[in-house]
Formats: sequence, structure tokens, C-alpha cells
Amino acid sequence: MLDKIRVENLSCFYADPKEKGGKKRVLESLNINVVENEILTIIGPANSGKTTFLRTLNRMNDFDPNYSRKGAIYLGNDNIFNMNMEKLRKRVGMLFAMPIPLPMTIYENIIYAPKRLGVVNKKSEQNEVVEQALRDASLWNEVKDRLNSSAMKLSGGQQQRLCIARILAINPEVILFDEPCSGLDPISTAKVEESMMELRAKYTIVLVTNNVKQASRVGSRTAFFLMGKLVEVDKTGTIFVSPKNKQTEDYITGRFG
Amino acid sequence: MKRKIDSIIEAIIFVCGILSIIFVALIFGFLLKEGFAFFKEFGVIGFITGDLWYPTSDPPKFGILPLIIGSLFVTAGACVIAVPIGVMSALYISEVAPKGVRDVLKSFVELMAAIPSVVIGFVGMVTLVPLVRTIFDIPTGLTAFSGSIMLAFMAMPTIITISEDAIRSVPWSYKEGALALGATKWQTLHRIVLRAAMPGIIAAIMLGIGRVVGETMAVMMITGNAAQIPYSIFEPVRTMTATIAAEMGETVRGGMHYRSLFAIGLVLFLITFIVNFTADLFLGKTKK
Amino acid sequence: MFNKRFLSPKVSQKISYAILFCATILAIIPVSIIVFIIIKNGASAITWEFLTSMPKDGMRGGGIFPAIIGTLSIVLCAITITLPIGVCAAIYLNEYAKDNLLTRVIKLAIVNLAGVPSVVYGLFGLGIFVMFLQLGVSIVAGALTLSIMELPVIITTARGALSSVPHSFREASLSLGVSRWQTIRHVVLPNALPGILTGAILSIARVSGETAPIMFTAAAFYVPHLPKSAFDQVMALPYHLYIISTQIPNMPRNIIFGTALVLLMMVLSMSLIAIIARIYFRKRRKW
Repeated sequence: MLDKIRVENLSCFYADPKEKGGKKRVLESLNINVVENEILTIIGPANSGKTTFLRTLNRMNDFDPNYSRKGAIYLGNDNIFNMNMEKLRKRVGMLFAMPIPLPMTIYENIIYAPKRLGVVNKKSEQNEVVEQALRDASLWNEVKDRLNSSAMKLSGGQQQRLCIARILAINPEVILFDEPCSGLDPISTAKVEESMMELRAKYTIVLVTNNVKQASRVGSRTAFFLMGKLVEVDKTGTIFVSPKNKQTEDYITGRFG
Repeated sequence: MKRKIDSIIEAIIFVCGILSIIFVALIFGFLLKEGFAFFKEFGVIGFITGDLWYPTSDPPKFGILPLIIGSLFVTAGACVIAVPIGVMSALYISEVAPKGVRDVLKSFVELMAAIPSVVIGFVGMVTLVPLVRTIFDIPTGLTAFSGSIMLAFMAMPTIITISEDAIRSVPWSYKEGALALGATKWQTLHRIVLRAAMPGIIAAIMLGIGRVVGETMAVMMITGNAAQIPYSIFEPVRTMTATIAAEMGETVRGGMHYRSLFAIGLVLFLITFIVNFTADLFLGKTKK
Repeated sequence: MFNKRFLSPKVSQKISYAILFCATILAIIPVSIIVFIIIKNGASAITWEFLTSMPKDGMRGGGIFPAIIGTLSIVLCAITITLPIGVCAAIYLNEYAKDNLLTRVIKLAIVNLAGVPSVVYGLFGLGIFVMFLQLGVSIVAGALTLSIMELPVIITTARGALSSVPHSFREASLSLGVSRWQTIRHVVLPNALPGILTGAILSIARVSGETAPIMFTAAAFYVPHLPKSAFDQVMALPYHLYIISTQIPNMPRNIIFGTALVLLMMVLSMSLIAIIARIYFRKRRKW
């Protein structure tokens, strides 16, 4: 199996507000890989650095002046820190914790990025892209009759799937999910998980979640982060049945976190 | 290609961003240039402390002390009226008035700020000035006192809006803490909220003062424009702003008189610079 | 404030509220009276002819048409200059600027531009535009002067409008590989537009009433014809009001009041439109 992403010695810091020039380390010498077409789930208690890690994977933190980092991340053979940011994000899409539809129609939401990136131009192509993306995110049947109504009017679960469709429309290689179901009810969560499982065939997925059960349901492999360190990573089945580390076991069984 | 356009646009945006600095520097530079040319011939000390302003007599006298005192009288008078009323209104609008009333009042205050000073000056001239003359039985109603009253109305919108912002930005937890201890709403208001909002209120007052010092048309129309040192608030005065506005039309471009008006402009610029700078420091304090 | 032994907290609260209420009344009543006086005395002068004809008899008769046109051309010219510059400056401050010395200096400069007395703007405009750049006393010179004067207002309101667009919209757009400028252009600006425009209208209103900055840069005592180019001197409403109310003896009262009323209505109606538009857009906001 091929490594899609290889992380080498990644450390991330935030400026410490308490002392001038001081830095707080939020990720420490991280080495991990993501295999092509797997779902790597990352679990861990609050402040374990998992969201920082995820946002580093497509450099969403780069505009934050308090943030700094060391190390390298390879996407295929390219170090992402040497890549053009826009190109990187076209290859590595991201879904946020809260659904963020842009204040436009459903149709415009999907076609927004392909248009701006110059991927599609013709109107007929546009229709095709929108339909395909919505179908892949299993939203097509629910919205096909109201593509021109505002995306803000959709329900939370629908909005989150719209955001997935929006990412699919630019056809990335990797999709990052940042606790995508934290604001959703169980039924919507099930639907989002379902589409994640389907997406696995075409994309490589990294999922950060607070929900240990979700990790056990969808993860091919699971990594456990604690206090900015990778404690353990293994096949999801192995981690949940016989974790090597005591801390992992404690977290999974709900003794802390 | 696309990236090239992006960077060109971003360069334009950056230039517009620093344009404000350039403008301030230009204004200051121009005032300084003309002002310096004047000071070289006349001297700074004589300008600031001279008590006679006869720019057209021979030899001309360029002492702006009467003008400074004129501005001071009018400003002080306007503050005495506008500050208490303004701050109390701000308290009422932000904390006492019901929500619907509050919104209407805020819009009203915003409209007040838009009334042109020449209109205020004109109405003051035809209504307040005769009234002041009869009530106080003085030879003319064109006095510093009349000017102060009209200017107070022009400073109030500034004072009210900014104080109201400051009062409203006092965190809820402060109020809740006091109310939970059994204090009435008013006790909470004047002991806790007012104190916490004080830096913002001071900034509001400073900005109000800045507005009054720089006010031109209304003062020119109602303060009588006598360039002499006043001994009471019921005498005509002439402010620095009014002097520039009234005399610029008659000067020879590039002459001493012309330059002396730029020198007054320089003094005004420096005063408002200091006032606004301090106000901004106070405003910065409230944000933290 | 009140001695507790004599007044219970409840009573002292009531009295204090009453005082605050009176202060508010005191703040707004005089201005209402000013508006009322002008309407009462000026309404009779307002006729179609007054608004659309030239002044006659040394301005003691006829209309104020050239002054209205003059003011409109100056302020519209000014906002066309300021709006793009001001919006770009606001974009820079809100979207690009880092928290460093340069940004602090820019902010300080804006605060200062906002505080410079209007008559000093007049001096500056006279020095740089009329004399140095040799534009003469003209619409352009006045408009340039006013445009610098309203720049801080436009920057501040535009910045407010930009920052009210949720940060998450920017993140969503950036995360899709859309560049920073494209994000601003296609997501941030469209959603900030109503706020920017209401700010612009409000600033046009304010600037229409300014006299001192245009006194030496654009306005003329009396011009018997309408402006033919941007380099002509013009009559302007606020300056005209100043002239007829102070410089011309035996001026018919109702013409002065009528002029004041036209100026006041122009300024107030524009401000009111902006305020109402702002309330409307805030209610209709999609997020």
C-alpha cells in the first residue's frame, strides 16, 4: 500500500500570550503516515493537538501570526510547505466542525470553487459538476428541485453534506474532516458517516473526532493523540481490542477524556 | 496569469492602506512649510504670546493670544454644557431606555450629527443671539456664551455616541455580580458600570472637545469675531478657526497674512492631533 | 449621589432615572426646535421655481438652482474618488494587515485625519490643489479636499462592514483552494456591500453640509451660470447660506430660511435613507 501523506518530525507552536516571545508547543516531533484510500481517524482528549495537526495538513493555520511549525509533510513526493498554498488546498480539501455554507444558492456553493479555480467554464459542464458532486455526497435527491434556493435554508446535516459536495467538486486527493458531526444529531451523523465510507473508494480521508465510537465505526486505522504527542497508531480493530498503551486503553474505555 | 492579477491588486490595496499616513504627512508638511516661512520672519514666541491681532495694519501685528483665548472660552463653555448632558443621555440611552426607544434615540442622535454647522450657526444667529442680548441686557448677543450653547449641540452627538458604546461594552458579568448582591440597577449603574466605562467616556469627551475646537462656521456666525482678549464669557470673541475662514478670502496669496493663517492652521492641527491621540489611547484602554 | 438615610435605593433610582431622562430630552429638544424653526419659516419659500431657477436681484430673489447643482457635483465627485480608495484601505486593514508598527501608524493616521478641523482641510486644499497643483478654485479642487476629509469615515465604516462578515466564510473559501483576493472579491465584498454603501451615503450627507473646506477651494460667491466643466467655480448650498445670511443686507428672510431648509432636508433625508437601509439590511442578513 502506498503512503499518501508522510509526516516527518512535525512540531507546531503557538505564541504564548503570557510571556512575550514565548512559545507553547502543541505538537511534538510527530511522525505518522496516511495510506492511500484509507480513513485514518485521530482521537484524543481536548488540547491533544489533533485539530492543529489537521489544519497543518492543508496549511489553514498559516495566516495565524501566532502559529509556527517545524518539520516536513509530504503529499506524494512534494513537501507541502514548499507548495503553493492554493494548489495544496485544491488537492487537500477540508470539512470543518460546523457546516459553513457560503451565503449563496446551493448551486453557487458547489460551483464557486471550480469557477474561481478555472476548472470549469462552460455552463453545461457546470451543471454536470454540480450534479455529480451532490450525488457523491448523497444530497442530490433532497435538493435537486431547489438548487437555486439559499444554502443557508438547509438543515444542519444537509449543510454539512453540501460542504462535502463542495469539496468533491474540486476533486481533491485527500479530504480532512475536523469533527464533522459535533453539531449534528445521530441521524444526520449516520448519513455523514455513510458518505464518508463511500468516499473512501476514491479519496484518502483523515478524520479528527471526539467521538470514540465514531472512530471505531469508520476508521481503517486509528491514531491516539495525547498532549501533543502521538501515543499509538494501529488498525482500528487492534486499537480497540488490544491497545498496546495503557493511556490509550484508559481513553477508549472512557476512564478519562 | 491569475496570480499576477492577484498580486497587482494586492499591491494597490496596500498603497491605499498607507495612503492615510501620506495624507496626514502631506497636511502637516504643507502647514509646516507655510508656517515656517511665516515664523522665519515673525518668530514663534511673538506669534503665540502676542495679544494683538492686526494683520492688515502697518506694521501688521500677528499675536494669536486673543484667538487662542477665544477658542478656549468657547470650547470650555460648550464642554460645561455638553459633557454632563451628553454623558447622562448616553447612560439613559444605553441602560435605561427600553429597546425600541433606544434604537429611535440612537438614530436621532446620528441625524443630529449630520446637521450642517452653517445651519446651526444661522439659526443661532436669528434666535439665540437676540435672546441672549435681551436676557442678559448686554450690547450684543454675539458672545462667547452664545457660541458655547450652539457648539454644545454639535459636540453632543459625538459625546453621546462614543460614551454609549463604552457603557454598553462593559461586560455583563460586572453588572450581574453587583445585581446579584442586591444592589438596585441604578446603584450598579453609577458605581460599577460608569467606573468601568470611564476611559471610553473620557475619550468621548476628548473627541467632543476636538470637534468644538475645530468647529468653524457656527462660531464665525455667532461669536462676534472681535479679536480681543475677552474678560467675560458675555463678550464677543474670535476663535482661531473663524479667523482663518473669515480672512483667507482677503489675503494676498503667498503674503505674510496668508502665511500667518497657515501658521494658525498648524497650531489647530497640533491641538487636535494631541486631543485625538489621547482620546485614542483611552479608547484603546477600554478595548482591553 | 443621594444620601441613603433619606432616600431608599428604590426612590433614589427613580429620581436618578428621571434626571437622566431629562438630560436626554435636553439633548434632543433644542435640535428639534432648530429643525422646526427652519421648516416653519422656510416652507413658504419652497416652490418649484425656487429650486430650479437662477438667483436674481443680487440674490435677493429668484432661486438657488446653481447652488444645488454645485453642491451635488462637488460631493458626488468627492465620493467617487474616496469610495474605491477607502474600501481598498479598509480591505488592507481588515484582511491583510498584521499587528505591527505600520498598522498602528495607519490607524493613528486615520484617527487623526478624522480629527483635523474642517477649516484646516480648507487650508490644505487651497495650498495643495488650488495653488500647488494649479487646479484653481474649482469643482475638482473642492472634491479632492472633501475626499480626503471623508476618507477616514469611509475607511472606518467599510472596515466595520468587512469585519461583520463571519471569519468562517473566509476559511471555507480559502480551504477550497481559492486565493485570498478572490475570496475577498467573491465572498467578503458582496456581503459587506450593503454596509459599505450605507456608510457612503451617510458620508455624502455629512459632507454636503460642509462649508469651510470648500470656501477657498471650490465655492464662489455668485456664478450666473451652471458649471460647464470640472474646473469651474461653482456656487454651493452651505456657502450660499453663509453668504446670504451674513454678507448681504436686506436679504428677504424667507429666502434664507428656504435655502437653509433645502440644505437641511438634503442632508437629513440622505442620512435617514442610510440609517433605514442599514436597519433593513441588518434584519435581512442571511447569517
